[in-house]
Amino acid sequence: MAVCVAVIGKDNAPLYIGGVANDTNTDNELSRQWLVHTALDALEERLAATNTNNTNNANAARADLRELYLGLLYSTDTHKIYGYVTNTRIKLVLVTSSISLTGSNIRDAEVRTALRRLHALYADAICNPFHLPGDQITSPKFDKQVKNLILNNI
Amino acid sequence: MADDIVFELLHSEIINYALHDPKGSKDGTVQEADLSIVEYIGFAAGYKIMERLTREWPRFKDELDTMKFICTDFWTCIYRKQIDNLRTNHQGVYVLHDNAFRFLTNFSNGQQYLEYAPRFVAYTCGLIRGGLANLCISSIVTAEVQSMPSCKFHIQVQRT
Repeated sequence: MAVCVAVIGKDNAPLYIGGVANDTNTDNELSRQWLVHTALDALEERLAATNTNNTNNANAARADLRELYLGLLYSTDTHKIYGYVTNTRIKLVLVTSSISLTGSNIRDAEVRTALRRLHALYADAICNPFHLPGDQITSPKFDKQVKNLILNNI
Repeated sequence: MADDIVFELLHSEIINYALHDPKGSKDGTVQEADLSIVEYIGFAAGYKIMERLTREWPRFKDELDTMKFICTDFWTCIYRKQIDNLRTNHQGVYVLHDNAFRFLTNFSNGQQYLEYAPRFVAYTCGLIRGGLANLCISSIVTAEVQSMPSCKFHIQVQRT
């Protein structure tokens, strides 16, 4: 069960953090931000690894690391954090709770598709001519689509 | 194709509009064409196109890889052809050579309109710069037209 998704800009400033359930609760909002930001270090580490591996490591590992989807970044007692970095250095982070409602584990492929969809939504959102690069995404449409994605997909 | 001609006509109208001075230069001096607006429009477009275009693309290895992407996919997406020649000095200067640049192919191949050529390359300079800016490469892009349908784009990458 996905808890929240975040879009982080090139300079690690959050562009959008959204989630479902108890939307008005400030505590929730804070813990969401905290969860998303815990993953950023791990994310940077993966990216750095990608760059160094390209020069000296095996081909198989390289092909894997060049993918945009970075997989599970970090897990806490209650949450799992997945990451995705686009070619334009926009970081997409997805947080799920460790135990899903049905008790089964969340499959990697599901998270991958969800993040790809989120990327598509993001690309659409920045094509809004009134949106300036680096600004927070305030579009209600984007918000609605993302919440839909969270509710329907994972 | 129909959508190509729409883009081409809109582009030439944007240039006409940008050059049109509402105050009117009454003193008779030929004003220096202000193409910064056209360049900025290109920048914004390039920035946004890039996000879509690189969606299905694996992460770029290095700067040269990025430039190759500009020459092939990016160019094909906009001008339906690839850059004919890419040169680099491996120190941040890249020269993209297009033998038949689309905005210039409709003009006479002689010297007749050579002085107007810079107007028609400004947008594309912005397009390249915007695309690169979104990929975290800040650059200066200039263009050079020596003989009519061919055009050279110089990309100078700013290193900090």
